Amino acid sequence: MLLDAATLSRIAGLKFRARAVVEGVLSGLHKSPTHGQSVEFAEHKDYAPGDELRHLDWKAYGKFDKFYVKRFEHETNLRAVMVVDTSGSMGFGTSGLSKLDVGRVMAATLAHLLIKQQDAAGVAMVAQGRFAEIPPRSTAGHLGAILDALETASPRGLTDLAMTADALAEKLPRRSLVCIFSDFFDERQDALKRILALRSRKHDVAVFHLVDKAELEFPFEDPTLFTSMEDDRRIEVNPREIKESYLEEFNRFLEATQNACRAADCDYERVRTDEPIDEVLLRFLGRRGGKL
Amino acid sequence: MTFGQPLFLLGTAAALIPLLVHLFDRRRPREVPFAALDFVLRSQKRTASRLKLKRLLLYLLRTLVLLAVPIALARPSFATAEAASVKRGVAATSIVVDTSLALRWGEGTRLFERAKDEAKSALRGLSGEEPATVVICTRNPTPVAPVGFERARLMGAIDDAAPGFEAIDLNRCLEVAARSLDDSPLPNRRLVLVSALTQASLRLEAQPPMGAGLKGEKVKPEFVVRDVAKGKDLPNRALVDVHAEAAPQLGPRAWQFTFTVRNFSKEAARDVELLLEVNGEVVQKGFVDLAAEGTAQKTLSWRFAQGGVATVTGRLEADALPDDDAHSVVLSVPRVLTALIVNGSPSPQKYKDEAFFTEAALSATGSPVKAVVRDADAAWREKLSDYDVVLLLNVDTPPAEVARALGEFVNAGGGLFVSVGDRVDPDAWNAVMGGLLPRKLRVVKTAVEPNQGDASTRAARLTQVALDHPVMVPFTGRAREGLLSTRFYRYALFEGDAQGVETEVLGTMDDGAPAFLASRRGKGRVFVYASTVDRDWSDLPIRTSFLPLMQRVAGWLTGTLDEREEVRPKVGEVVTLKPEANQSPAWAKAASGAEVALTALPQGGGVTGGPMPEPGPWQVVDAKGAVLEKLGFAVAIDAGASNLARHGLDALSDWLGEASVRTSGSGGPESSTPLWTWLLTAAVVAFFLEGLLLRK
Repeated sequence: MLLDAATLSRIAGLKFRARAVVEGVLSGLHKSPTHGQSVEFAEHKDYAPGDELRHLDWKAYGKFDKFYVKRFEHETNLRAVMVVDTSGSMGFGTSGLSKLDVGRVMAATLAHLLIKQQDAAGVAMVAQGRFAEIPPRSTAGHLGAILDALETASPRGLTDLAMTADALAEKLPRRSLVCIFSDFFDERQDALKRILALRSRKHDVAVFHLVDKAELEFPFEDPTLFTSMEDDRRIEVNPREIKESYLEEFNRFLEATQNACRAADCDYERVRTDEPIDEVLLRFLGRRGGKL
Repeated sequence: MTFGQPLFLLGTAAALIPLLVHLFDRRRPREVPFAALDFVLRSQKRTASRLKLKRLLLYLLRTLVLLAVPIALARPSFATAEAASVKRGVAATSIVVDTSLALRWGEGTRLFERAKDEAKSALRGLSGEEPATVVICTRNPTPVAPVGFERARLMGAIDDAAPGFEAIDLNRCLEVAARSLDDSPLPNRRLVLVSALTQASLRLEAQPPMGAGLKGEKVKPEFVVRDVAKGKDLPNRALVDVHAEAAPQLGPRAWQFTFTVRNFSKEAARDVELLLEVNGEVVQKGFVDLAAEGTAQKTLSWRFAQGGVATVTGRLEADALPDDDAHSVVLSVPRVLTALIVNGSPSPQKYKDEAFFTEAALSATGSPVKAVVRDADAAWREKLSDYDVVLLLNVDTPPAEVARALGEFVNAGGGLFVSVGDRVDPDAWNAVMGGLLPRKLRVVKTAVEPNQGDASTRAARLTQVALDHPVMVPFTGRAREGLLSTRFYRYALFEGDAQGVETEVLGTMDDGAPAFLASRRGKGRVFVYASTVDRDWSDLPIRTSFLPLMQRVAGWLTGTLDEREEVRPKVGEVVTLKPEANQSPAWAKAASGAEVALTALPQGGGVTGGPMPEPGPWQVVDAKGAVLEKLGFAVAIDAGASNLARHGLDALSDWLGEASVRTSGSGGPESSTPLWTWLLTAAVVAFFLEGLLLRK
């Protein structure tokens, strides 16, 4: 069972509000910034050549002898894609749950919440050379497919955020909410930039940066042979000798990632694998509510 | 380098442990899959060079710890390769403590205090199986105890030691110390010299001391020198001499004192204060400028208010060695003497008057004599006890009662001077005054008639003068020539010595006849001159010698001149005094309370005592404790001892033939802290640093 009942009950009390720039279709919850087809009248405007004639208000013409076009409120649905990194490094964890475990629980929770609100939710699991997608749907039965897909994901291969960014840009025609669950251990310099470039395509991007306690604190003492979880690299070191330098490097990486996200106007949430998942989600949702 | 416990050196093999651990430690590290491997790789690359240096430092520190501890336990000490080849392990040790004047030098703390600390440190530094003794280096050095293990006794002897006032012969002390180890069953010998190493005390031209081995062969001991001056110079200036002489030109009882000041330091000194103290009271002050390593003289004068014995001290502005900045002299300032001149042949023409020249001489400026001239009839009516001395100048035979009164006067301590002339009838004089004169008169001899043309060449002359007699002391050099050139045309001859009377002949004519006779009668003295004190029989009255001669005769007759004036011994010398017949000196006492017993010399040669232990004025007392003021004297420090020039440590090493010279401060290894202490300290520091590096 991926979804924790206690976690879900606590999240259910909150209203998930998307940003003003994201289109939605569920009435009453998500107002669209664009005017379109709907049954609810909004206002009149002077006719201009090029306006659709079917929207001319003939009754107004009868009264005022002028052409007016009727405009309507256009209610939308939220489309959200949960992007989960399934590279080998996501399999690391020292607190009972690996980073991948934490990522898919959070993705499943958010998908559950969105579908419950009649919004469309999908999921994409990515690693080097792999891109498995379940397109966004708002039907209740779609949640099961999402959960099944998440549950069968396993960590392996290299992280490839650039490829993920390209695939999403191609497959997401409308403005969508993109939630990315990854440790961002990608060696390529522009990988994070390309992910964040989705924001320039009007997508709402939320970054969940997953880190393990051991990565943050480097609690090793005796000489250790460290092996890579994505390839066959290995190195023998005395952890006490490099601890200071490692922590300096790793904290610099965390800071750089956070700063890049904020510079691109993306939400950034650092998630430790040992902290309660519901607290992370409530913090995230609460911050988004403040923006509306 | 030698080692007290060489077996501990085996422990230095432990220094290989870090290397062996490095070479053979092949523990398999734990394998851990780790997601953030890139950061581990980056950190390892960044810290690689620093880690390599750190590992090297750790290796060195661990090796140092494991090397320093066993070496420290082996008790290392410095020595030449030659010495080290034969002298290892425990050694019988003799510690020589210098007590020279130089050890009194100090800026705050005297060097001798440091010397005691050094000696005790050396004693404490010996291992439990090393027998030892201590030689306190004095004029007569002897080991405090036979070489052994009486540490407490040796410590006590060091504590009780005190510095002296002379340059002690360190070479002799080292010989004594070397011999003190001859009985030791140990093959190794060691001499520890604690000294200021002044050139005045230690002669490097002499052979270094040698000891005798178990089979009687000569053994060169190991030398350890502890320089209490820390290799520094010991600048010093000293008041090395005081010359006191009467200055009659400045008035009665005026004296001038010429002080000789020497600067033994390499820096000049200006306006150095010099005080003149009389009986402990400052009466004059002067200043002297001293060139570097130069000598200066300063003369100060003082007129005494009254006669008597006075202690005069010159005192320099104190420096680091104040003991040689004072120099004393004990003076006998002549008191005012009253003299009755009995003129036996008065004349209205002064130059023919019998008493004219004598009165003029005794009444000259600066003379301590107050003279009264009377003709014979008037003189016999005078009360003789009112005078100190009576001078009978060519007087007719005195009446019997006068002769008796003169005898009583002399026996009671008065002085009697007799000069002859045409009024003196030898037979009549012998009948009345024979018992008082040193020798009886015989006849008058005429060498040549004064009026003859060749009288000046045929006149008799003095040939011998007793220059060691107080009366004749001034007549040395040109003054002696002046006295000896005196012409005598006519003079009295004398019988032989009367039985039981000791007569001193102070001068003789060229025919051997006495010219001056002196003797003691009871408490008084008698002086006889064999010619006239006017120009009738001799030209002595018009010679320059006449004035001082008459004044000193008057002084001697009244006891104001004596031999004590020249008693100025140095520290370490024996003092010899010539007391008067009625004096029995038993002790000499210094102001500090120090006492020296005086013993009588055979054949009336006076008394002697010493060696004198300290400088300054000394009083002489008899067995009943009564002070014999006139016998007081002053002891001075020998100028050579004040020269604190030191031997260089290199010269000392050359002399000793080994590099075992240590100082007690800067300029060489710290002798008060043994080498093993430093090694242990280094080990602890290395251990601490190793821990610090490991924590990082």
